[in-house]
Amino acid sequence: MDEMKEKKDLPLNIEISDDDIYEAMKNIPGYLDITPADLKEIYKFAYRHALQRITQSVKAHDIMTKRVFSVEKDTLLKEVAELMAKEKISGIPVLEEDGNVTGVISEKDFLSSMGSEDKTHFMAFIAECLQGEGCAAFPVSLQKAEDIMTSPAIIVREDATVFEISNIFFLKNINRVPVTDREGKLLGIVSRADIVRASMLTGKPLS
Amino acid sequence: MLRDYFKKMRGVTKSPPAVNLSEIMWSWIGAFLGITIVALVSYKVLEGKGLTMIIGSFGASAVLIYGAIKSPLAQPRNLLGGHIFSAVIGVTSYQLFNPHIWLAAAVAVSTSIALMHATKTLHPPGGATALIAVIGGESVYKLGYLYAIIPTAVGASIMLIVALLVNNIPRSRRYPEFWL
Repeated sequence: MDEMKEKKDLPLNIEISDDDIYEAMKNIPGYLDITPADLKEIYKFAYRHALQRITQSVKAHDIMTKRVFSVEKDTLLKEVAELMAKEKISGIPVLEEDGNVTGVISEKDFLSSMGSEDKTHFMAFIAECLQGEGCAAFPVSLQKAEDIMTSPAIIVREDATVFEISNIFFLKNINRVPVTDREGKLLGIVSRADIVRASMLTGKPLS
Repeated sequence: MLRDYFKKMRGVTKSPPAVNLSEIMWSWIGAFLGITIVALVSYKVLEGKGLTMIIGSFGASAVLIYGAIKSPLAQPRNLLGGHIFSAVIGVTSYQLFNPHIWLAAAVAVSTSIALMHATKTLHPPGGATALIAVIGGESVYKLGYLYAIIPTAVGASIMLIVALLVNNIPRSRRYPEFWL
């Protein structure tokens, strides 16, 4: 769910230490004609460079999930919820009749439309149910996707870089973004998990 | 401001790790053999012919090419380029500014550093090679530009050959890192 309540600084201060560098230098036999501080500086630049290269060169279409579910504007919320539950997804794009992406529905949208107050956190919803006020959300069952979707949809083109997408996730505090072609037709979806996978420099976890 | 200025003098890091015993041993062997050969040629072959094969700056080169063999400063390009360019600058400077030895010395060293930088051949002993051309006395002066060839170019080449042969014996070492 939504764990990013307080936006923390990106963990750039978790950086390599002088000791890391010193120990690494000890692994290399022979006299190294460089101070640990200079080596650290070089390492940091090299790391930033690699990160930039990777985040600029990897594009949305490289990492997106291509088999993407979607619903229409007038799909009943009941059906939307069923589909999301069945496919175990937490967000789904909403399409116009012509197939263009017009919005996105996430778990959060359901929660906030079902609670009386601004309940965008799942536990707040649970708390309300447990307080015996009833999980009375059920005018919702007759509503349609367009009634609760977040719109206009935040979308990216297929050539958006991982860097840009990460920024959107961070700034808009969202967890997925639909990928479209120039005309706005849905091509896929990129989630935070896809970004994490792309950020592992080797493409697979270090075992 | 002033405080920041003095703060910089405290340093920011610790010295690099010490090398192991094998590194010390191979540095010793390389330097011993390298200097042995140029010194033997100098004192047993060239003695009395008005020539020499050894100059003080070779001692400094030995530190680099046998003791710090990964250093960019110790690579063949730097060893040969640094010595030869500096020798030419040193001789030229002496011939231009003689008898103002102080000026010739300063110009020789500073200009050789600049030239070594510009040609990517920085080799600290080169500064000494340039200086020796100016303060080395009559025996050096009368060589003229020959100084750049014997002892400088030939001596440095001999030391380089020894470095190539000795530094590549142990598994933990390789030399050079690059040629050009």
